[in-house]
Amino acid sequence: MRRRITFVQRSDSPFSHDQAILTPDTLTIRSLDAAREDRATFAFDEVLPEIWQVLKHCHQLHIRWASERRYDAVTPFASRVSAGLHVFFTPGSIPGDSLDGLCILLKKVFGDELDCTTPEESFITPPILSTRFASTPTFQYYSSLSSVEGLVSYLENKICGSDSECRAQAERLRSADSVDLNYDSISHSLTVSGFWSRSAEGWSETISKHAAGADQIEIGLLGTERAVEPEEIKMGGLLGVVGRDDQLKPTLFSFPSRHHALPEDATYSVSFPGPTGLHPTMTISLPSSSLNPPPAPPDATCALHSYLTLPSTIFADKYQLSSTDPLFLESHHLVALRAVAGETDLEAPDWSVSNWGSNWLLELATPSDPGQVGEWNVTVPLHLRYLKPSESGYRSASVPWPVVFWACTAEDGTKMGVNPFDRANLGWDGLFGTRTMFYQLHPSADRLVEELEVPVLKLESEGLFQTRMIEVGTVAAIVFGLLWVLWKLGVVARSSTQSEESRQKKAK
Amino acid sequence: MNSLFNRPKLVFGASIALRAILLFYGAWQDAHSAIKYTDIDYMVFTDAARYVSLSGSPYARDTYRYTPLLAWLLVPTTWPGFFSFGKVLFALSDVLAGWLIAQSLVSAYGMTPARGLKYASVWLLNPMVANISTRGSSEGLLCVLVISLLWAVLHRRITLAGLLLGLGVHFKIYPFIYGPSILLWMDGSHRLSSTPNPKGKEKEQEDEKERNKNPLNLLSEFLTPEKLYITTLSLATFSALNISMYILYDIPFLQNTYLHHLTRIDHRHNFSPYSTLLYLSAADSVSGRFESLAFVPQLLLSVVVIPVVLARKSLPGAMMAQTFAFVAFNKVCTSQYFLWYLVFLPFYLPFSSLKSPKMGGLWLTYQALWLHQGYLLEFLGQSTFVPGLYLASLVFFGVNVWILGIIISDVGSLRV
Repeated sequence: MRRRITFVQRSDSPFSHDQAILTPDTLTIRSLDAAREDRATFAFDEVLPEIWQVLKHCHQLHIRWASERRYDAVTPFASRVSAGLHVFFTPGSIPGDSLDGLCILLKKVFGDELDCTTPEESFITPPILSTRFASTPTFQYYSSLSSVEGLVSYLENKICGSDSECRAQAERLRSADSVDLNYDSISHSLTVSGFWSRSAEGWSETISKHAAGADQIEIGLLGTERAVEPEEIKMGGLLGVVGRDDQLKPTLFSFPSRHHALPEDATYSVSFPGPTGLHPTMTISLPSSSLNPPPAPPDATCALHSYLTLPSTIFADKYQLSSTDPLFLESHHLVALRAVAGETDLEAPDWSVSNWGSNWLLELATPSDPGQVGEWNVTVPLHLRYLKPSESGYRSASVPWPVVFWACTAEDGTKMGVNPFDRANLGWDGLFGTRTMFYQLHPSADRLVEELEVPVLKLESEGLFQTRMIEVGTVAAIVFGLLWVLWKLGVVARSSTQSEESRQKKAK
Repeated sequence: MNSLFNRPKLVFGASIALRAILLFYGAWQDAHSAIKYTDIDYMVFTDAARYVSLSGSPYARDTYRYTPLLAWLLVPTTWPGFFSFGKVLFALSDVLAGWLIAQSLVSAYGMTPARGLKYASVWLLNPMVANISTRGSSEGLLCVLVISLLWAVLHRRITLAGLLLGLGVHFKIYPFIYGPSILLWMDGSHRLSSTPNPKGKEKEQEDEKERNKNPLNLLSEFLTPEKLYITTLSLATFSALNISMYILYDIPFLQNTYLHHLTRIDHRHNFSPYSTLLYLSAADSVSGRFESLAFVPQLLLSVVVIPVVLARKSLPGAMMAQTFAFVAFNKVCTSQYFLWYLVFLPFYLPFSSLKSPKMGGLWLTYQALWLHQGYLLEFLGQSTFVPGLYLASLVFFGVNVWILGIIISDVGSLRV
C-alpha cells in the first residue's frame, strides 16, 4: 500500500516551519489549517478476496461519494458531484461475465439501504456524447446515501483488524467531505481517497512509517500560486517521504488542470418554490457575481451548465426539455437539454421503476449584461412520480442539488493527463471533450439536499378511510350503480313488452 | 333563429369560421407565449409522424398509444409550414361529423333538415368541441368515424358500415360495443321499414309467433346474410389492419395500441370510480382484486343489456347509452372520453325529458368538485386522494349513473 497525504493551505492561512516536523520515522504536524486529501493505493494482491472477486470482472470501477454538508472544493480539488453515492462501472470484456456480485459488494461496503439488485436492473446507461472521451462508463448508479458510516465500519472490521493507525484513518473518513474509489484493469490497483475541506481545530497528528517498512507515505504541504497559463494550476510548498527523506524539500510546479475553482462569490443556490404540488419547479438562483465568464484562455468558448441527478421519485419530461421553442427556453432561462440518461418514463409510478433515476445535462442561459440583473433564476420544470400510500398522506422525496459549472472548450486545448490531482469520471465530465475545462460554482447553503413533500394516498390504520373501506366503498358504488341501471333497463323492457302485447291485443 | 337553420351554408360557415379563428388564435398564442395552446398530445402525434416520415416506428415516441394510421395521416405536419395540418384535419372531421349528424337526424327521426341542423349545431357550434380539435386532440377524428358508422347503418350502406366498424375498433377499441346494437337494430321493423306493408302486418305477426316457437328458427331469423356480411366484413377489416400493422411494427404496435390498456401501471388520479382502488392495488396495499372484474359490469351493460333493450327502439339512443355506460364504468376516465358520448347529444336532446338542463348542471357541478380536489392535489400538493378525490369520483359516478338511468328511460319511451 502506498499513501499520499496532501495538505493545501489557503493563501491567507499562517504557516510556520515548526508546524510540520519530519523525523526519520515520523512526520508530526500541529494545528495546520488546510484542506486535506488522503490517498491510499492498493495493489491487487493487497485487496480482500471478496473485493477482488468483483474487481476482476470490472474494466473500470469508479465510486464517488459527496457529503450533503456544504464544503469548499479548493484548488486543485475543485470538482464536485451531487451529494450522495455515485458508481460508474464498465464491465470487463469477457462475455457472459457475471455482474451480479457488484451490488452485493456495494451493499456490504456502503450499507444495506442501497437499492441495488444487479447492474442491468438498478444502473442506468449514460450516453456517449464525446467519442474522443474513451472512459465514459457503461453503467451508472446513484444513491442518496448521506453518510459513509457503512464504509468506515467495513474498513474497521474487515480490513484494519487491530491496526490502530488503519482504524484512525478509517475513522477519519467519517468526517470526509468526499470519498473516491478508483479501480481500472490496466493499473490493476485500487485507490481510495478522502477529501476534507478543513479541520475545525487544524490538523494535528503524527504520521508514522508503517512497521512492515514496505509501505511508503508521501507528504505534501502545498499552497496555490498564480499560474502563468490560464489552463494551469501552480503549486508551491514542501514535499517529503516519511522514512526516506530527512527533511521536507521545497517545491514549485505547475500543471494543466481540467477543474478550476471560481472566486468565492461565484455561488448558486437551489430551491423548490412552494406550493410544489406534483409538478415542482427546481430553481437555480445565481447572483450576478456568478454570471461573469470564467478566466478561460481567450480562444475558448464557455457555457454555463448544470448537471442534475434525479432519484426515481422525481423526473423531467425529456420532450418538454428538448423543446427548441425559444419562448419556452427563454422563460426558463435554459439554452438546451444536452444529455439525458436513465429513467425517463413519463407515467410509471415509483414502485414500478427498477433503476435509480436519471441524469440531465442542461446548458443554462446567461443574461447579455450580467451587471444589470440582481439575481438570475434558472427554472427546470420537474414532475413527481406516484409514491406508495402512507399514514400521513405524505412522503418525502429528497433531491440533491445539481452541480453548476462553466464548461470551456478550446480547439487546441491542452491534454489534462499529467495532473497529480486529476479527477475524472464524475458523470458530467464524460459528456464533454477531453480538452474541456470546467469552472465550478460554489453551492451556498449548509445542506445540499432539498426535501420535497409528496402527497400520497392517505391510509389510516384506524378510522374511516382504511384499505378495506375504500375497497368496500368502491365495490358498493359499482354494484348499486349497476343495479340501478339494470332496474331502469328492466322497466323499459317490461313496458315495451306490455305495450307490444296490448298492441297485439288491439290488433286482434 | 329558425331562419338560421334553414341556411345550412351559414351554419357550416359559422362552424368553420369558429374553428379557423381558434386555429389562428392558437398559432398566435403558441408564437407569443411560453404557455401553449397546442395540446401536448399533438406534439406526440407530430413527433410520431416525424419518425414514420423517416421510415421509423411511431412507437419510438414515448406515450404514442395510437394506430400507426394516425401517424401516417399526419406525415404532412412534418413538411415545412404544415405544422397545423393535423389540427385542420381534426377540425374538418368535426364539421363533417356535424354534417353527418344533421343527415342522420333527418333519416333516423324524420326531422326537417332545418330541425336536424338545429340539433346538429349543438355539436357544430359547440366551442368546447371546436377547442378540443383545434388544440390538436385526435378525438374529433374518432367521433367522425363513429358518426359515419351510424350514418352508414341508418342509410343501409352495409359495406361502408362494416369497414368503418372494423376501422373504428382498430383505432380505439371501444367502438366494438356498437357491433351488437347495430346487429339488433337491423332486426325487425327497420329491415322492412323501407317497404312498408301495413296490410300484411297482422299476418306477419302471426307468422312471427309461429316462428318464435322454434329456437332454431329464431337463430336463423337472427342470422341474416346481411348481418353475417357486416360482422365478417368488420372482423376482416379489423384483422387485416392489425395484421398489417403488426407486420410493420411488430410487438411495439400491439403493446402500445392494445396491451397497454390491459397492463397499464400508471394510475394517476382520474374521474373513474376505480381510481383510488387501482392506486391501492398497484401499490400492493390491497388484499382483494375487485378491480380485475371491472370489465364485468361495464361490458354487461354496454355490450349486452343496453343493446338488447334499446337498440331496436333507437340506434343512436342506444349507442349514446352504451357509450355513456362504457365511460362511466371504465377503469380509467379522463375528460377526453366525455367527447365520445357528447357526439350523440344531438340525437338525444330532441326527445330528452325536461330534466336535461338540470342533468347537465349536475354533471358539470360534480365534475368541477372533482377538478377542485384534483387542483388541490396536483398544484397545491395537498393529499386529497382520500377522502376528497375518492368521494368526488364516487359521487361523480353516482351522477353519471343517475343520468344514464334517465337516458335509458327516455330512449326506452320512444315508440318503435
